[in-house]
Amino acid sequence: MEGKMGYLFAANLFVWGGILVYVFSLVRRNHSLKKDIDLLHESLKKKESGDE
Amino acid sequence: MSDAVPAENGTDESEGSGIGLLTLAGAGILAAVGAIFMYAPTEKTEGVVQRIMYFHVPCAWVAFFAFFVVFACSILFLWKKEREWDIYAHASAEIGIVFCSLVLITGPIWGKAVWGVWWVWDARLTSTLVLWLIYVAYLMLRVQSEAGSTRAKYAAVIGIVGFLDIPLIHFSVLWWRTFHPLPKFVTTSGLGSGMDTPMTITLMVSLGAFTLLYFLLMSQRVRIEKMKDDIDRIKKKRLYAH
Repeated sequence: MEGKMGYLFAANLFVWGGILVYVFSLVRRNHSLKKDIDLLHESLKKKESGDE
Repeated sequence: MSDAVPAENGTDESEGSGIGLLTLAGAGILAAVGAIFMYAPTEKTEGVVQRIMYFHVPCAWVAFFAFFVVFACSILFLWKKEREWDIYAHASAEIGIVFCSLVLITGPIWGKAVWGVWWVWDARLTSTLVLWLIYVAYLMLRVQSEAGSTRAKYAAVIGIVGFLDIPLIHFSVLWWRTFHPLPKFVTTSGLGSGMDTPMTITLMVSLGAFTLLYFLLMSQRVRIEKMKDDIDRIKKKRLYAH
């Protein structure tokens, strides 16, 4: 019974661990794109101030 | 599409629906975990390890559903030539791979506990591995080749052909003698007729929670892909403007 609990624990660990890793990868990609957007904002502001 | 920089990703409305989905999926997962460990009875022959089924089957369901979305969106992309369908297909394929990987991990863990071996080359297991390999190839094609309509077309063809493996996976246990047990939830006598009622309820709660999780992940993944498109478009416009 105890040995079999180990298998149940391992399966749980992989399922929730796997889903968490994927969620973190989405969060990381989201942050990196937000940084890109901020950079675009900055360069647009510089361009606008240069035009004036 | 104006030349304006996208104001953060998405509108207030999409963020609101995202929070709603997050709440629903979170509540669903809590309910599923509670049902799996506190409500579902322990199976007589396999013991506690049978509870792996409540994760294994929903992961398989989400993987198959995700690949069905790839299949449907790929057909729509080839028909309508709209980038939107390619985005949905790509996002769904990635999520499908995540859940198919979890099926291929939890299955051998369950198999080792019940059959005494991690893996057997029977029809169900092998056809599931083939499905995983097809969609890994689908994602590799997207990473390795240059963005554009040609890549999207090739990916769509793989997305459609790959889905043909799913009926084979489903019927493999009926057509051939396999180690894998016959379906107990979806049977000819009706949904859940091969299981005790508390087990059927637990599995249904878990299936519902994982389906909500799929829609939550899908909404976020699609949002990321759309943000990438917007940024690329603006960068290109600015490059040509100089």
